[in-house]
Amino acid sequence: MLPKFDYIAPKTIEETFELLDKHGQDARLLAGGTDLIVSLRARERIPKAVIDIKAMKELHDLSFDEKRGLSIGAAVTLNRLLHYDATSKHFPVLCEAVSTIGDYEIRNRATLTGNICNASPAADSAPALLVLEAAVNVASRKGRRSIPVREFFAGVKKTVLARGEMVTSINVPTPPKGSRGGYLKARRTVGEDLAVVGVGGLVTPSSKSSKTVRLAYASVAPTPVRALEAEKIFERDKPLDELLDQAMPIVSKTISPITDVRGGKEYRTNLVEVLTRRLLQRLWEAN
Amino acid sequence: MSKHTIHLTVNGIDRTVEVESNKTLLWVLRYNLALTGPKAACERGDCGLCTILMDDNPVKSCLILAVEADGHKITTIEGIAKDGVLSPVQRKFVEHGALQCGFCTPAAVLAAEALLKRNPSPTREEVVEAIEGVLCRCTGYRQIVDAILDAARMKT
Amino acid sequence: MGYKYVGKGVPRVDAFEKITGMAKFVADMEVFAMLYGKFLRSPHAHARILSIDTKRAEKHPGVVAAITGQAFPYRMGLYVRDKMVLAKDKVRWAGEPVAAVAAESEESAEEAIELIDVKYEPLAPVFDVNEALKPGAPLLHEDLAQYEHSPVFTPVPGTNIANIFKIRKGDVEDGFKRARTIVENEFSMPQVSHGAMEPRACIAQYFQDGSTEVWTCAQSPFAVRYILSHALGMPLQKINVHVPHVGGGFGGKAGINFEPLAVLLSKFSGGRPVKLLLTREEEFTTAPLRQGFYASIKTGVDGDGKIIAEQMRYIYDAGAYADYGVNIGRAAGYSCTGPYEVPNIHCDSITAYTNHPYGTAYRGFGHLEFLWAIERQMDMVAHKIGVDPVEIRLRNALRPGSITATGEKLREDAGRVDQCIKAAAESIGWGKKEKQTCDGRLQGIGIAALWKAPAMPPNAASSAIIKFNEDGSANLSVGVTEIGQGTTTSLAQIAAEELSMSFEKIRVVPVRITDLTPYSWQTVASRNLFMEGRAVIAAARDAKEQILDMGAQALRVPKADLVLENEMVFPKGQPDKGIPLQQFAMGYTYPNGTAIGGPVIGRGGYVPRGLTYLDPETGQGFPALKWTFGAQAVKIEVDPETGEVKVLKVASAFDIGKAINPLLVRGQVYGGMLQSLSIGLMEGYVYNQAGVMLNSNFTDYKIARASDVPDEHVVTLIENPQSDGPYGARGIGELTMLSIPPAIAGAIFDATGVQMFKLPMTPESIWTTIKQQKPELLARKR
Repeated sequence: MLPKFDYIAPKTIEETFELLDKHGQDARLLAGGTDLIVSLRARERIPKAVIDIKAMKELHDLSFDEKRGLSIGAAVTLNRLLHYDATSKHFPVLCEAVSTIGDYEIRNRATLTGNICNASPAADSAPALLVLEAAVNVASRKGRRSIPVREFFAGVKKTVLARGEMVTSINVPTPPKGSRGGYLKARRTVGEDLAVVGVGGLVTPSSKSSKTVRLAYASVAPTPVRALEAEKIFERDKPLDELLDQAMPIVSKTISPITDVRGGKEYRTNLVEVLTRRLLQRLWEAN
Repeated sequence: MSKHTIHLTVNGIDRTVEVESNKTLLWVLRYNLALTGPKAACERGDCGLCTILMDDNPVKSCLILAVEADGHKITTIEGIAKDGVLSPVQRKFVEHGALQCGFCTPAAVLAAEALLKRNPSPTREEVVEAIEGVLCRCTGYRQIVDAILDAARMKT
Repeated sequence: MGYKYVGKGVPRVDAFEKITGMAKFVADMEVFAMLYGKFLRSPHAHARILSIDTKRAEKHPGVVAAITGQAFPYRMGLYVRDKMVLAKDKVRWAGEPVAAVAAESEESAEEAIELIDVKYEPLAPVFDVNEALKPGAPLLHEDLAQYEHSPVFTPVPGTNIANIFKIRKGDVEDGFKRARTIVENEFSMPQVSHGAMEPRACIAQYFQDGSTEVWTCAQSPFAVRYILSHALGMPLQKINVHVPHVGGGFGGKAGINFEPLAVLLSKFSGGRPVKLLLTREEEFTTAPLRQGFYASIKTGVDGDGKIIAEQMRYIYDAGAYADYGVNIGRAAGYSCTGPYEVPNIHCDSITAYTNHPYGTAYRGFGHLEFLWAIERQMDMVAHKIGVDPVEIRLRNALRPGSITATGEKLREDAGRVDQCIKAAAESIGWGKKEKQTCDGRLQGIGIAALWKAPAMPPNAASSAIIKFNEDGSANLSVGVTEIGQGTTTSLAQIAAEELSMSFEKIRVVPVRITDLTPYSWQTVASRNLFMEGRAVIAAARDAKEQILDMGAQALRVPKADLVLENEMVFPKGQPDKGIPLQQFAMGYTYPNGTAIGGPVIGRGGYVPRGLTYLDPETGQGFPALKWTFGAQAVKIEVDPETGEVKVLKVASAFDIGKAINPLLVRGQVYGGMLQSLSIGLMEGYVYNQAGVMLNSNFTDYKIARASDVPDEHVVTLIENPQSDGPYGARGIGELTMLSIPPAIAGAIFDATGVQMFKLPMTPESIWTTIKQQKPELLARKR
């Protein structure tokens, strides 16, 4: 049984701001419910109010143009996102990552915004959004701001959202021309699972001989992380194997895998190495 | 706790129900509307046995508040056979032995019905993807997948 | 043999209600004035209960009763009476129920539980079976000496031993002296969950005169009735147990679960019915599971790999209470060698207490566990002496005329494990050099053999009633419960065949009600098709006699000259001079109105032939109704760098005797295989240092999903008939689940040269083992 709370479905964003200002930490926003309902049943949170965002039409917008990129409203479900032509055409890394979340039925309800606001260290969409350098659009009574996804996560299940703030959409800029992106996820089973380790990468040819690399990880730190320091190594004009040999120790310093019920520290450390090499090898060869 | 009057269509019939805010759609279907087809087997979105169709989309009703279903079309397993005549999916399940204890059967059938509606000629992989969210401990899934592929062939 | 129904894959008789969602399980039922029950679980693995205060809970709106172990301080148990309905004085595992409430709504009951105050004094726990058996280990049952128990089992007071089963055959010391090669190894597997999709549920109503009505998802309603009768001190007649549809059991619902608690709650609620439903979390932490297992095996073989002597120590981690655990230890003990002939055996099969949740029956009943060990050992012996794994099994395979561990000489019709091994090896492509590597992934194949007989007392019984209706149709009533396995459909096929009646005219009564249903010992052990099948045949023949008796009078023809065929009774050779069966169903009425005979009710029963108890010191005797043999082979692909395994193909072969319904048999093979693959690759309870379960939901207790299914599964059903089985059939339900994990481990060895000793073989566990045994596989290729 779920705890007792008041349910409200505001029709306007201004109404939502009022409710958020009023309740602060005692309110939870409801989009797909696939994380929130589980959390409520487990009594991880006992809010006074649950605010359903799905009655606000503008939050269901999903659009793309080359210049601004992909705009994903907070209420857009993962399946809608996956079935949108522009997503598979221009953002294959996002497709690859999002399609590993839960199962088809979960993806009929779960939202991209929900996935990042839940802020699990294992959030599969995060490495993709990090390498694509997405921006999170936030609004409150005080106004609007855009937060790079890299700055959005504050800790395990914590975001930087302040009291009264909500995410209205996520904007994903079109990746540079010629980019190749991908997401590899290690699981305990062939069947659906949370990431034991998740690696997202984006490789862009920057000149005839060199490439720029963006690398991001899930499940190896308190939040999903970009391996910014290690990425610099790949600017050098060397064979990939050599670059990886130099970059991996730096990646190790960026992450802090732990032992939990899903995997051991040593094994996760191994997976980071193995999956990073495999992903970059896949993305490197093409050009 | 707030109370809400919701209007929804369930298996083709318009229903008006008084629900409390903290009751899931699964709970209301079973206790308010006496539809025991959807099952409570984990209540956290893992097992999929609470599967129903919401506006023809397969979803896990244990993760949906009843009040969220206001204005929507709901189909449970009870709405699939018409006047005792089984659907092609149901007939093929029976023919292929794709059910044993029957506890996951409503969910598997609904996931299959929804799949064939959106994708009339699925590949084996697509069938597996469609039922990935439904756990079965009895059948080993093989006959379920065979039945769904056979039902697809029947319809086309 | 041209049978009309036997041997055909007819759809199951209960398909319609299941496919339309109309089938009612206990959770779908309501009884007027019903209350909801909920229990409070212990947070400690081992602790004294200092005090329990239920006052606040009693005052909570909607609560009608709040009880503790004081309400019913009597011990119950299937074989060892060691468990109370609610923990009293002491808790023995983290998750054990210590108090319970009954309230007007589920919500109210859930809230009330939180208002119960319990004070504990934690005690030192013990979790490892080897630690539990050491002198000085914390004792779970200090009063073990006072517990009543079946004479077949002997708990050892002052220890954590619930039972030791011994096999002493020949002279192992001498055998080892003569052996050319000796191999010694240790193996283990953790406790695992049944994972039945229907969480346990029951409704109970206790009337003021002590009579009791129970609706439950039990596999064995007569066992529930029996235990309630003993526990409550009420005659069997006063207790009525109903079983509607059951959403999977796999042994977890074979014995008694929460029925006594529901009965008590009803008693203390003034006799209102109380419904007790478990959440999935409670299914993991509180409902019983499969015992954990540890084995050490020493095998001595001659130059050809024939086993001369074998010494085994099997230890079953039964958790806090013995339940079926003692019988599992016994069954594993008398089957301890696996399907091989071993002349000299020393086996101790021990059932031990630990502060884990307790184990109960589970498909395979100890055999999945010890076959993991024995089949791994066979592979390792084969490797040591340079013999092929298929070859070594064939050299040691039991055959008609062989002597088993208990001194039983296998009959001519006992079944052929050698044929099963050959068939599985052939189907998997054994010996064909088509191994590939792809992207660094390595392929391998492995094989393992299996056997099992029903683990049951030598006098377990089954019965059946065939009751005719006015229109000439018949109702078949049997005590086996339908838990998904489809036995009732096969029994209807047998009845239709025996009576030469249309299958559609046989209605299998869909519920079990102990007041009405003919007795069946339990629905377990892969015994019911065989035993109920024989009972149904007897009932059909009994009905036929009654019909022909009347027919002889009506037709004025000697009974011996009459035929019952296609629902007609007629003199041999004169079908046009017959009378329809329907006219005899309620007795026969002459044209002038005079009636003879009466309603036809066929009754039949069956008890096993010639089984015996086993000698307490040597284990010698005849425990086996029949042995079903089989073999399973797998082809896998391993990714050494991640440890991930994909099972590409499975080949299964069973000597089933006769597949009464091949469609249902396939269902058992596919389902059992996947359940076993799931256990082998991904299942196992994980506890923290304090013994609290960490993976009590399906997110972190992984079970196989549709994408975990191997691409190919080839099934071979060998039909060497069992002479005393119904139409030659043996039993299959548990067998399909055996020996998949060791086959996978054999394939991993074939692919990588790495030996696995523990389950589950998760990617992490495989990678870690590769790192320890063959680190060169992980060296990066340049």
